[in-house]
This record gives sequence, structure tokens and C-alpha cells, in this order.
Amino acid sequence: MSGPQIARRALMGTALAAPFIRPVAAQGSDPYVIGTLFPMSGPNGEYGTLFTNGAALAIEHAAQDRMLRRPMRIQAEDTQALPQQGVIGMTKLVNVDKAHYVLVGFTAVSKAVAPVGDRAKTIMVNGGAVGPDLAGLSPYFWNVIPLAHLETQAFLPFLMRRNLKRIALVYVDDPLGDAILGLLRTELPKTGGELAGTFSVPRTAQQFGPVAARVRQVRADAVYVASFGAQQAQIIKGLRDNGIRQPIVGYSALSIASVTALPEAEGVIFTSQKFDYTGGSEITRRFATDFKAKYGSEPGAYNANYYNAVRLFALLAKELEAQNTEVNGDSLRATLLRVREFDLVGGKGRFDDQGNMSAEIQVNEIRGGRVVPIT
Amino acid sequence: MLFLQLLLQGIQTGALYALTAAGFALIFGATRIFHFAHGTSFTLAGYVFLFCWNGGLPGWFGTLAGIAVAMLFGLAMERLVYRPIQRHEGSFFTVFVAAFGVAVVVQNLVGMVAGRGFASVDTRLSLATEVLPDVFLAPIFWIAIAVAVVLFAALSAFLTRTHAGVALRALAQNPDLLRAYGLSSNRLSMLAFAVGSAMAAPAAILTAMTTGLNEAIGHHVMLISMAATIVGGVGSLRGAALAGLMLGVAESVALQFVDTQWAEAVSFLVLFAFIIFRPSGFFGVAQTR
Repeated sequence: MSGPQIARRALMGTALAAPFIRPVAAQGSDPYVIGTLFPMSGPNGEYGTLFTNGAALAIEHAAQDRMLRRPMRIQAEDTQALPQQGVIGMTKLVNVDKAHYVLVGFTAVSKAVAPVGDRAKTIMVNGGAVGPDLAGLSPYFWNVIPLAHLETQAFLPFLMRRNLKRIALVYVDDPLGDAILGLLRTELPKTGGELAGTFSVPRTAQQFGPVAARVRQVRADAVYVASFGAQQAQIIKGLRDNGIRQPIVGYSALSIASVTALPEAEGVIFTSQKFDYTGGSEITRRFATDFKAKYGSEPGAYNANYYNAVRLFALLAKELEAQNTEVNGDSLRATLLRVREFDLVGGKGRFDDQGNMSAEIQVNEIRGGRVVPIT
Repeated sequence: MLFLQLLLQGIQTGALYALTAAGFALIFGATRIFHFAHGTSFTLAGYVFLFCWNGGLPGWFGTLAGIAVAMLFGLAMERLVYRPIQRHEGSFFTVFVAAFGVAVVVQNLVGMVAGRGFASVDTRLSLATEVLPDVFLAPIFWIAIAVAVVLFAALSAFLTRTHAGVALRALAQNPDLLRAYGLSSNRLSMLAFAVGSAMAAPAAILTAMTTGLNEAIGHHVMLISMAATIVGGVGSLRGAALAGLMLGVAESVALQFVDTQWAEAVSFLVLFAFIIFRPSGFFGVAQTR
């Protein structure tokens, strides 16, 4: 092989590789990749929009405040709220997109993706799922939402005070539903209540008239709905249309628009995190004002949670940038455990050793299509 | 009384399943096209009615608009998707993938336009009252039964007493002979899609009032339609209708005997039983090889 031939090939190779060769300075200004594993389609797609809106606003605010030297960008993967889709998405986020931080939601999806993130040492933050076993899932898995056991602890005494002691549970047949079933089985008797009946429904179930007929048989004082997405609205409509007149109660997943706007949901009582958007901290007020301006609606707990999740990343990364330390799963975790307390929407967010944020719980009622705090 | 309650609810659900399944069976029986996007006709019809209702338009207008959109969608699928595919190779798999792709695209479009989440028609027709001790019935029960009976009677009359209907049945049995008699199989195929898709619209409207809609509801509708078509006997319209009714009743009445989480599984147990013990279905013709 002659010399000029080699030179020509080397030149051609260099020319072809040129677009992929980046100077070190350019790599340093690459955006931080915030992966999202949300359902963006299917019957739970409504949550994906809610979650993403909160995260996107936090990125805007961080950019406005010049919190970080590098910008942040969202890399979305659609899970359809299915564990297998979640694992596929998570694998892509850590291996292909090199995500620095991944936002997750839904108990089953969170449990499925946690081992992938754990192996890759990528921080995963949940702001939407409440299965109690999400606490301590991995050192790299954090929760910025109070889990179901905290909601239940606050809710059961309230139900007893209202003399709603015999509870019928309609729950989705997945890890979230099973977790709520387990909680009510153990916690209700302790507060003087009892489980009058339990009715498991598949995730794909659409018909709830026959379920309502079975629920009527147990003569409960209240019906607890433990599902999510479009299905919980279908359950409520199915129960109300088919003769269930007792109060319907539930947990924070009921705070979505398709439930609150449902005429049959009038009077539904549920728990959620406590947020004071008018009298709270400056960060809280700014979030509420800008959210309404950007999306034309009042923010909800899910919007705030994912705003907090991204703001938490910005605060941690800011600390690390100031120390000239690489931003990765280990350094983020070490900083979280060192600082522990952060200024977030809703007030000070305090994290325990497992990365779970504590928050106050309030009881809400749906009145005239709005969520009204009643405690 | 629980059994009676479950039976009545099963009949209501089954009537809606029957309407949807009959539409799918009519299309599949006449054209042998596995129209997976039939569930999408259902979804579109339901949402169009919902938009009209929420926009304050009269119910009859919403119903006609829903039927028109379902028919147009069915016709568009036939002309723009299935016919070009069949002109080239037309394998079952290609048709299925094309229909599935369209269904996913429309599902996402519906989600973008109508919002991703639950939507229902707010009407007192779905509100049940106690008619017997512990037996609740809503006015929509009678409407569902009446609509199903009237539409099946009309469809039967159309298929047996009109030239177009008889030609549709002939298309199902021997398309070559039909062409030999100078009839256009393309036109008849379009007719099958128009009528079959229109059958899904009343079921979609009643579903919007009872269980509500979401953009992904078409997949569930297709599962039921496929199961009913197999149980009823492939190509048999009355078989599909009867099987749809039976699946609805089985799904509901099963709750008398099993836990609530098994309700949907019962439908598919019925399907498996038919596949194993009577693969030709209720009214299908058994074939030997």
C-alpha cells in the first residue's frame, strides 16, 4: 500500500469523524440530561402531562436564575405506566442518553426501573407514586412525595371522626393497590375501623356496574378507591351511577382534572400534600404565579412535586459545580445526605437517610369541580 | 337479587358489545380484512358525540355526527390503507400492522385534541334508581336494549331484503362469482366498511354515557370484538352479536361466583373454551382438512 493512499484515507476518515469530535470546552457546556419516565399516552397519559409541566417550569426557573453553568434538558421516555416499558426507557436513558437524573412515577414502574438505575448509579426521583415500599428501594431512589402510609396515617383518624368506620376498598390489581390493601388491613383496626370488603379490579377493567353491585352488598360506611388515571374516574362514575351513595374516599391520585371535573366526584374526600400557594414562601408563590401564567390553570400537588424534583437537582448540582466536583449519582447522593434540607415549593424539604422527603398531609374535598382543603 | 342485578347489567353491557362486534364481523365477513382500527371508529364516534354534547348541540345532532365520522373513518381506511395494500400483496400481517399503526396514531391525536384522560357525557340517563329491593336500573338500560334490537332488525332487513345487502352476503361467500355477475367488489367493500363502522357509533355514544371514554378505549373494544367474532363463528353476523351479548353477561354474572378481578378473564375463558371445543363458534361452518 503506497503512502499517498494512506494519507488520503486518513484525511477522509478525519473528515468523516470531525462532526463527532467535540472540544473539551463544548462537552463542559453540554446540557444536564433530566430523563423522564412518565406515561405520555394511554389511559394514564394525563399524569405524564402533569408531571412534565412541573419539571419544565423548574428548568425554566433554574435557567432564569442562572443556577447552573450548564443548561438542563428533558429527555422523555413514554412508559404508558407499564413496568416493562419503564425498564426499556430507563435502560435507554442510562446507556444511550447518559441521563444525570431520572424522574419516575407510578409504583409498578418505579419498582421495575430501580434496579437498572441502581446498577448505573443514576439518581431516580419519584414525585407521583405512593406505594410504601418505594422507601429504601435503592440508595439512588428518592421520593419527593409522602408515601401512602403517611397519607393513611393522617387520613384514618379523620374518617373515624366522621364515623366512617366500615370501609369497602376497590383497588387496582398492581403493587399500588396491593400496598393500600395491606395498609388498610393493618391500620384500620388500630384506629377502630374495619375493612367491610375488598374488591380488586384489573388495570384494564372498564365496567364497574357489577363491581358496584358487589360493593352495595357489604353495606360499608365509605368506599375507598385505590387506583389511578382514567380508571379511578370510571370507578367513581360506575359506583355513583349504580346506587352507591356512601362517601367515596381515596388518596392523592384523585387530584387530577379528569376526576375533579367529574360531576359524580362531587364530595369525594382524599388526602394530599399540604401546599399553601398564596401565603407560602417566595419560591412557592413564584411557582404558583408562573405556573398559572404558563399553563392557564392552578398548579396541583403533582406539578409541585416534579418542580421540586428538578429544583432539587439544580440545588445539588449548584453545590457540586461550586466545588468543581463531577455531577453524578454518588456526588448527588452525598450532597443530599450532607445538606438534608432544601428550599422547595411548599416550604423546607427535609430528607431522611433513604432519600425520602417528609411533608405535611391535608384532607381535601371535591366541591364544584375544585379541590378544597378541609383540614 | 345480586344475580338478577348482575344479569341485567350484563345484558346492558352485552348489548353494546354486540353492536360493536357485529360491525367488526360484518366488515371481516364480507371483505376478509382484519380491520383492527374498528376500535378507532368507536373512539372517534364517542368523542365526536362528546364534543357536540359539551358544545350544547342537540343529542340527535351529536349522534348523527358520531355516525358520520365513524363511517368516514371506515371508508378512509378502506380506500387509503387497505385497498393500496391489497393491490400489491395484501398479506394478513401487513394489513394488521397498517391498521394497528393507524389506530395508535389516531389514539395519540385524540389524546392531543381531547386531552389525555377520562371523559364522559354528563347525563341523568346513566343514573340508576332502585326498581326492586337491591336492584338498580338506569334509563340507559332500556335505551341500550332498544337501540340494539332496532339496529339488528334493520341490519337483518338490509342484508336479506335489499339488493345491496344480498350482494354483501354474496361478497362474503364468493367474491369471484360476484364479479362474474358484473358487480363491483370494491363498491361492496366500501359499503361493508360504511355500515360496519356506523354500527360502532351507537355503542360508543352509550359507552360515553355509562363507563366513559379515554383515548385508548379502542383497544379494549377490539379485544371484545375479536373475541365475539371468534365465539360467534367467523363471518356470522348473528353469531358475533349473540357472542357479544354472551360475553357481556358472562363478564357480569361471573361476579356472583368469583372475585371481582376475574370478571374480564371470564370473557377470555369463554373464548378459549370455544377455540378448544368448538373452533367454528356458534354459527361458523366447521371445515375439515
